[in-house]
Amino acid sequence: MIRTNRQKLALTSALLAVAALTASSLPAQAASDPGVTATSIKLGITVPMTGIASPGYNKIPGAMKAYFDYVNDNGGVNGRKITLVIKDDQYIPTTAVAKANELILKDKVFALVGTLGTASTKAISASTQLAKRGIPSLFVNTGFSGFADAKAYPTTFSILPSYQMEAKIMGKFLKEKYADKKLALIYQDDDFGRDALAGFKQAGITFGTYIPYASGSQSLPATGAGWISKLKASGAEVTVLFGVSSASTAALANAYAAQYKTQWVLGSVGGDATTIAATNKAYVPLLYGAKGFSFAPAPTDATDEYIKLFQSIYATAQPTQTFDNNVVAGMSNAFLAVQALKAAGSDLTRAGLIKTIETKGASFANPFLTPLGYSATAHVGATGYWIGTYDPTGALKPDGGKYTVYTTDSGNGPVVESSYKRPAMPAKGLPN
Amino acid sequence: MIQFINMLLIGIGAGSIYALMAIAMVLVWRSTRVINFAQAAMALLSTYIGFELVQKTGNFWIALPLAMLLGALFSALIEIIFIRTLIKHSTSGPVAGIVPIIATLGLLGFIRATIGFIWGNQNVQIPAPLSKIGFTVGGETIALSPMNLLVLLTVIGMVFVLGYIFQKTNLGLSLRASAYAPEIAQLAGIRVGAIRTIGWAIAGAAGAAAGLLQTVNGTGALSPDSLEFSLLLTFGFIAAVIGGLESLPGAVLGALVLGLVLAVVQIYISGTLVFIVAFVLLLVVLLIRPQGFIGVKAGRRA
Amino acid sequence: MLKRHPLIGFILFGLILFLASNRVDELRVFQGATVAVYVIAIASIILLTGYSGQVSLGHGALLAIGGYAAALSRNHWGVPVWLAFCIAVLAAALGGYLLGLAAARLSGPYLAGTTLALAIGLPSIANQFSILGGEQGLSFDIGLPPASLGADFTQYKWFFWIACLAALISVYWLRNVMNSRYGRSWKAVRSNDVAAELAGINVGRNKVLAFTVSAGLAGLAGALLAMTISTVSPGAFPLTLSFSLATGAVLSGVTTLGGVMIGAVTLVAIPEIVDSVVSRFQSSDVVANNLPGLVVSALLILTVLFVPNGPVEQMRARHERRATK
Repeated sequence: MIRTNRQKLALTSALLAVAALTASSLPAQAASDPGVTATSIKLGITVPMTGIASPGYNKIPGAMKAYFDYVNDNGGVNGRKITLVIKDDQYIPTTAVAKANELILKDKVFALVGTLGTASTKAISASTQLAKRGIPSLFVNTGFSGFADAKAYPTTFSILPSYQMEAKIMGKFLKEKYADKKLALIYQDDDFGRDALAGFKQAGITFGTYIPYASGSQSLPATGAGWISKLKASGAEVTVLFGVSSASTAALANAYAAQYKTQWVLGSVGGDATTIAATNKAYVPLLYGAKGFSFAPAPTDATDEYIKLFQSIYATAQPTQTFDNNVVAGMSNAFLAVQALKAAGSDLTRAGLIKTIETKGASFANPFLTPLGYSATAHVGATGYWIGTYDPTGALKPDGGKYTVYTTDSGNGPVVESSYKRPAMPAKGLPN
Repeated sequence: MIQFINMLLIGIGAGSIYALMAIAMVLVWRSTRVINFAQAAMALLSTYIGFELVQKTGNFWIALPLAMLLGALFSALIEIIFIRTLIKHSTSGPVAGIVPIIATLGLLGFIRATIGFIWGNQNVQIPAPLSKIGFTVGGETIALSPMNLLVLLTVIGMVFVLGYIFQKTNLGLSLRASAYAPEIAQLAGIRVGAIRTIGWAIAGAAGAAAGLLQTVNGTGALSPDSLEFSLLLTFGFIAAVIGGLESLPGAVLGALVLGLVLAVVQIYISGTLVFIVAFVLLLVVLLIRPQGFIGVKAGRRA
Repeated sequence: MLKRHPLIGFILFGLILFLASNRVDELRVFQGATVAVYVIAIASIILLTGYSGQVSLGHGALLAIGGYAAALSRNHWGVPVWLAFCIAVLAAALGGYLLGLAAARLSGPYLAGTTLALAIGLPSIANQFSILGGEQGLSFDIGLPPASLGADFTQYKWFFWIACLAALISVYWLRNVMNSRYGRSWKAVRSNDVAAELAGINVGRNKVLAFTVSAGLAGLAGALLAMTISTVSPGAFPLTLSFSLATGAVLSGVTTLGGVMIGAVTLVAIPEIVDSVVSRFQSSDVVANNLPGLVVSALLILTVLFVPNGPVEQMRARHERRATK
C-alpha cells in the first residue's frame, strides 16, 4: 500500500506531528483560579529579552523579580510567595502570543503583568481572549491610550501615562515658557509620534520645523547629522524631541559634533538619561540644560524614599547591573502589582483582583508622583508629568526645586496643575 | 549653500561607513561565491574583541590592527571548520544556493548568543580615538570631523591595498581564479582550498575594521542585538549590490551613492522615506543595470 | 492504494487531525494551527526555491501582503472570512507577479538581496499610510465558531480547523501542480535553464509563474497567521520570519514537498522544548536569555551541515544506494 520511502517518511512525519500534538495530558479541572495556591501566586510576563528592541527593556523582569523576592522574604502577599515566569518575545507579536499562550495554558499563571509593546499587547489580548477568560493583564508597559478603555479591554490595566497626555502637557509648557521662540519638533514617524502630534494639536501648538524620522533610521550614520543640519538651517531656538532614546542620543551627539546650540526638550521615552549613559557616558554632559519630563522620581534622586529603597534592593539582587529608569519602571510595576494582590485579600480570584483595582486602585500606594486614575470605566494608571532640567551629571532636577505635577487625560480635557501629594511609603516598602 | 555642503559631507560620511562593510562583503563574494551572514557574525565578534583590547591596552591604535589580525585568524578558522564541511556535504542546484545562506544564518545566531553569554546583553562602550567635533571652516562648523576623516582614509586605504593585492600580485590572481573557475585553477596548480581560506582571512580583517570603526564613529555602544550593526549589514549589502558585487571600487562607489541619495532624501524631502528609498534604489539599479555601476555583464552566473 | 489515490491519504489525515483536536489541550491546538500556517508558508518556499531555483529571503513581505489584504477587506468591506482569505491570496499573488517580473532577470545573490531589501522595506510602508494602522496594526477578527458546533468549541479549535483545512487543500493542490507539466518545466529550468530554453520552455514566464503561485500561497499563510494572532502589524512579519521560513524549508528538504511537516513542526516545537529545558535549571539571566538561541542555532548548523538536502532526500538517496548495491 505505501510503497516508496518518500511516502513512508511523509506519513511518518505526519504521524509524528499528530503524536506530538496528542502528547500532552488533558487539563485538570481547577477548583479555584489557576496560578494561585495557599502558598504561592504565579505571574507571567512577555518582554523582549533579546533582539533589536531588547537593550534596556530586558532589565525590567530582573528588576521586578528583585522586588518580588524582597516581598517574599518579608512574608509574601497574605502569606503567598510570588513567582514570576519570564518569556522572551523579541518584540514580535506572533512570538508574544505564542509565549502568552504558554504562560496561560502551560504555566497556568494567575495573571499577566507588564506586557511590553502596543502591537504585542493588542495581539495577546485579542488572540488569547483575555477578556473572555477573565485573565487580568496588569500594568502593561505601553503608552497606548486605548488599553485604558475598560469596555474594550475589561481585564487590562495601563500604568504609564499615554503619549497624548505627555504631548498635551508638553504643549502647554511650550506655550507658556517659549511663546515667542522658534520651535522645531523631531518625532518618530509611527503611532508613538503621531499620538504626540495629536496631543500637540489639542494643546494648540504648532512648530516651525517638523522633522519626522522612520523608526529605526535613527541608528543609521547620517540621520542624526541630517537633523542637525536641518535645525541649523531653520534657526530653531527650542527643539522638542519625541522619540526613543537612541534618537535623542543621535540628536545630542550630532549637535555636539556640529557645535549647534538649542534648548532641548526631551520626551520621557527618549529623555532617559540612564539609557543614554548606558549608550555612552560621554554623552551625559550633553543633556545639561535640556528639559525633561517624567512621572516618577528620578533614579538619581537619592532623597526620595522609594528610590532609596529600590536602590538598596536592586544592589543586593543584581549587583552588576546599573540602576536606571528601566529598573525604576520594573520595580514600580512590581510594587503596584503587590499592592493590588494584597488589597484583593486572602480569597484571591481573578475577578476579585480586577474589581479591587477598579474600586481601590486610585488610592494605592505607589512611587509615582502623579495620581492614579483607576476606575470601573477607565483603567488609567499615571495621569501626568512633572517637568525638570538636567544637571551636568545627567540627573533630572525638578523645575522650581519641587515636583510640580500637571495632569490631564488622553482626550480633550484640560491640563491642570495637580495638588496631589504622594502619600508616604508604607513601612519597609511593603504594601499593606 | 552651507547646508548643501554639509549634506554632501554627511552623505559621504555615511557612505564611507557603508563602504567598509560593502568591501568586506565583496571580498567574501569574490573569494567564495557565498552570501555570507557569517561575515556579519565575525565582524561583530571581532568588534567585541576590539572592545576587550581597547579595555586592556587603553589604546585604540594598538587595538585596531590587533583586532583585524584576530578577525582574520578567526575568519580563516570558520572557513576551515565550517565552510569546507558545508561545501563537501551539499550537492549542487538550488540546495547549493540556499543551504549556505541558512547555515551562515545559524552561525550568526550562534555567535550572537555566545557574545551574549560572555559579555551580556547590555551595551558596552568603546571610546572614540579621535574627536567627533566638526572642523571649523570660515567660522562655520562643517559636517566633517577627524573621526569622519579617519573612516574615509581607511576606506581609501583599503581599496588601494586590496586592489593592489588583487590586481598586481600572484596571490590576487590566485584568489580571483579560485573564485571564478575553481576547477581550472586547480588544474593550473593553485591550491584552491588554501587560497579560499586566505580570502576569508582578508575579509575577516576588513570586517573587523568595519565593525570597530563604525562603532566608534557612531555612538560607541555595542551590544549583541545592536540595531546599528543589523542596519549596517543591510545597507552594506545594498551598497555592494548597487556597485556591482564584482569590484571593490564599485562597492565604494555604490556605498557613496547610497549615502548621498539617503542624505538628500533625509534633508530635502522627508526622513520617513529612508528605508523605502533604499529599497527602491536597489530595485532600480537591479532592473536597469543588474551588474551594478562597475561590473562585468558576462560571467555573473552565480 | 494510497499511491494511486493520494487524495484519500489527505482526507484520512484530515480526519485524524479532526479527532486529535478534540483530545488535546488548547496549547497544542493553538500550536497545531501555527504549524499548519508554517506548512503552507514553507511549501511556498519549496516551490519557489526547491522547484524553481529562485532564492527568496523576504517571503515575510508576501505573507504581510496577504495578512493586510485579509484584514483590510474584512474591516472595511465586511466580507465573509473565506472571501477575505481569497483576497489575501490574490493580493499576494499580484505582489508576487510584480516581484517575479523584476526577479526573472536576477539570480543568486542579487535575487536574494532584493527579496531581503523588500522584507526590510515593506514594514515601513505600514507606517506611511494610516489606513494600514501603523505600528499597532489592525485587528483581524474572524468571528466566533458557528453555534452548531456547540458552546464549548473554543476559538483556538476553530482556528486549528480552518488552518488545517487550508493547509491540506494547499499541499494537495501544490503536489498536483508540481507533478504536472508546470512542475516539470520548473524542474527543467532549475537544472539547466539554457537547455530548458532550447527545449522550448519560456524561462522568464516560467519563473514569473513560480513566483506568482508561491506568493499566492504565502499570502494565504499570512492571512492565516493574522487569524491566529487576531491582529496584523508590521512587527508580526519581521525579517526573522523570512529567515525562519527559509530555515524551515531547508530543514524539510528544500527540493521536495514530502518533508514539509518536519520543518513546520521543528519551527514551532524546538523553541518551546529548548525554553522548557533551560527553565528547568535555575540559571542566571545571562544564561537563560542566551542559551535558547545558542541551542537552536547549534541544532540548525548541525542539521544543515549533515543533512543539507533534508531528511526525505537523504533517506531516498540511501535507499537508492542500497538498491543499487
